[in-house]
Amino acid sequence: MSEIDVTDIQGFALKGYGFPYARYLLLELVHAKAAQRFIGQIVQYLTTGERWHEKPISTVNIAFTFKGLVKLELPDVTLLSFPVEFQQGMRARQEILYDTGKNAPVHWDPVWREDHVHVWLAVNARTTAALDDQCSLLLKIMEQTGGAKLLQAQDACAVFIDGKPTTKEHFGYTDGFGNPDFKGAQRECVPGQGKLTKDGKWEALATGEFLLGYADESGELPPAPIPHLLARNGTFMVYRKMHQNVATFRKFLEEQGSLYPGGKEKLASKFIGRWRDGTPVELSPDREDPALVKDNNRNTNFTYGKDLNGLRCPVGAHIRRGNPRDAFGFNGELVNRRRIMRRGLPYGQYVPEGEPVRDEDDRGIIFMALNASLFRQFEFVQQQWIEYGNDLHQGNDKDLVIGNHGGKGESVFQGTNDPKNPPFICANLPNFVELRGGDYFFLPSLTALQMIASGAVDPR
Amino acid sequence: MANQSGQIYGLTILSPILEGDTLDICHATALRWYLAGIPRDHTSPFAQVSSTHFARLVVMDDVVFVGAPAIEEHLKSRYLVFESNFDGDLDRYLTRMAREIPEFVDSVWQHCVGYPGVADPAAFVAYMKKCQIETTFFFADVNDKTVQQNLKALQVQSAVSHFIERNQGRPAAEIQQAFGVLLERLAKAHPPLPGGIDSEKTAAEDRPHE
Repeated sequence: MSEIDVTDIQGFALKGYGFPYARYLLLELVHAKAAQRFIGQIVQYLTTGERWHEKPISTVNIAFTFKGLVKLELPDVTLLSFPVEFQQGMRARQEILYDTGKNAPVHWDPVWREDHVHVWLAVNARTTAALDDQCSLLLKIMEQTGGAKLLQAQDACAVFIDGKPTTKEHFGYTDGFGNPDFKGAQRECVPGQGKLTKDGKWEALATGEFLLGYADESGELPPAPIPHLLARNGTFMVYRKMHQNVATFRKFLEEQGSLYPGGKEKLASKFIGRWRDGTPVELSPDREDPALVKDNNRNTNFTYGKDLNGLRCPVGAHIRRGNPRDAFGFNGELVNRRRIMRRGLPYGQYVPEGEPVRDEDDRGIIFMALNASLFRQFEFVQQQWIEYGNDLHQGNDKDLVIGNHGGKGESVFQGTNDPKNPPFICANLPNFVELRGGDYFFLPSLTALQMIASGAVDPR
Repeated sequence: MANQSGQIYGLTILSPILEGDTLDICHATALRWYLAGIPRDHTSPFAQVSSTHFARLVVMDDVVFVGAPAIEEHLKSRYLVFESNFDGDLDRYLTRMAREIPEFVDSVWQHCVGYPGVADPAAFVAYMKKCQIETTFFFADVNDKTVQQNLKALQVQSAVSHFIERNQGRPAAEIQQAFGVLLERLAKAHPPLPGGIDSEKTAAEDRPHE
């Protein structure tokens, strides 16, 4: 597998665009024939994975829920060939994902409580003007074709500090370091972002971990719909709107930080595994290191093999849970089929530290993850590593920051004899993050979209 | 000694199931229905044989033919598979089964060829050992400590983590004094009953990936 046809793949599946503005148009399809016309029109505006000579001012990408594909009247044989978790949708998977209690669907935004979201039409843009222009063009196509109607436009926007877009999220952490490298993605393999080799180097993961139609890390084809041409170069996406209780988080960090001998910022770094400026705790456990943050050859280039007890980076830290690297031994082979590609942007107004802030205000992050198998990759990570701790020898403890604690959570931060780095336990954890909805989507290739638009999906 | 890991014994028994019917249904079906109704929580019969870590009973029908190029093959009989990971000695464990859960053992193994009953525990032990095969894998979550040691360790772990959470940051002398009280309390505490540490339902119970 040397190269893939990047002009056939939606750009969103291959790269994070790094634009500060986004609008996710959540659409309901009206009628199969009109919806086909709508898709046929939209295809020409879609952003592919083609390498940019000049960065565009905006991008367009599209994905469908299972209900959307049903509405498009794809053949039954094709529909039933999709993986069952995609057919069921994210809401039906709530027990498996531990989306219960405060994260249960009854607390979701109304648009996600019903089955009308058929399409995710995403626009990323460099400016608000470009965002508005592109969206009105798309809305015009919806109107002209009569194929879809807008249920909700979810805006997202980078956190601006001193007038400049940053990669910070509302809790104050610098986010979005690295994503798994995979073969054929036309990207240099960055140390720390693919998989570990036996001699401790990094190399790209198998294409089939992130795109359908290619061999995955086990040399198998991930479960995919038929015909093959509908699946190939497509992938699955999870969309989760995660509300952030910023007031609760800041108060908690203030209180616990005053009890923790290493101080508030060091404790904050133990929660995530990165200091709030992004410095990896594993590489720099005692202080922020701006030079390290800027260096893309170093800021994701670390392993946990020499820190199995979590004395530097706690074993339950957020980034260590999401990607344990070599923490389970076997040169990291146990994580190679559990990787997800992350996308997303914050939504809502950012409030600088020290200013009054309320939990109730609408702010959080639109989290999206791409993978070939929602079941094997996203759902496994969410269930076993985020909402549970057994693989990490942390019992029932969940991820401190995004876990669904319900007021009863506990987190252990390992420590040493150093009085500034003692072991520390946080108990009675509330939910710092609450789920407000989302679903599972299929992000087809350009070829597949043409097939859908022309009613030519033929499973025989 | 593949059957032994530390203080833990891994038992695997294959008992041929009787041919023919019992009442209206065949023995294998009757056995499968009976097994389906056995409680799996702390009221399970194996909870009474308190040295049991995990036990499993399965009716094995035949080799499943998966199509060419595989060859179609068949077992000589249907089998009851009994697997148990427990503390200590095999003879003692089987004797305990015969003495402590005789009705259960009868209800299960009455469907098997050559079952002598439990009235004579020695005969039952001899029968079970005749059906034994070597165990090469233990249940993944079983370590090499006894049930009692595990329960006690969980109790201590839970108590210590609560202790740290309540006392972290206090002056050393106060912590030391409080720790003395904790040690005393733990020394006197009864080990919790099996399943008594955290019976709360967790996401883990719905693990589809294992």
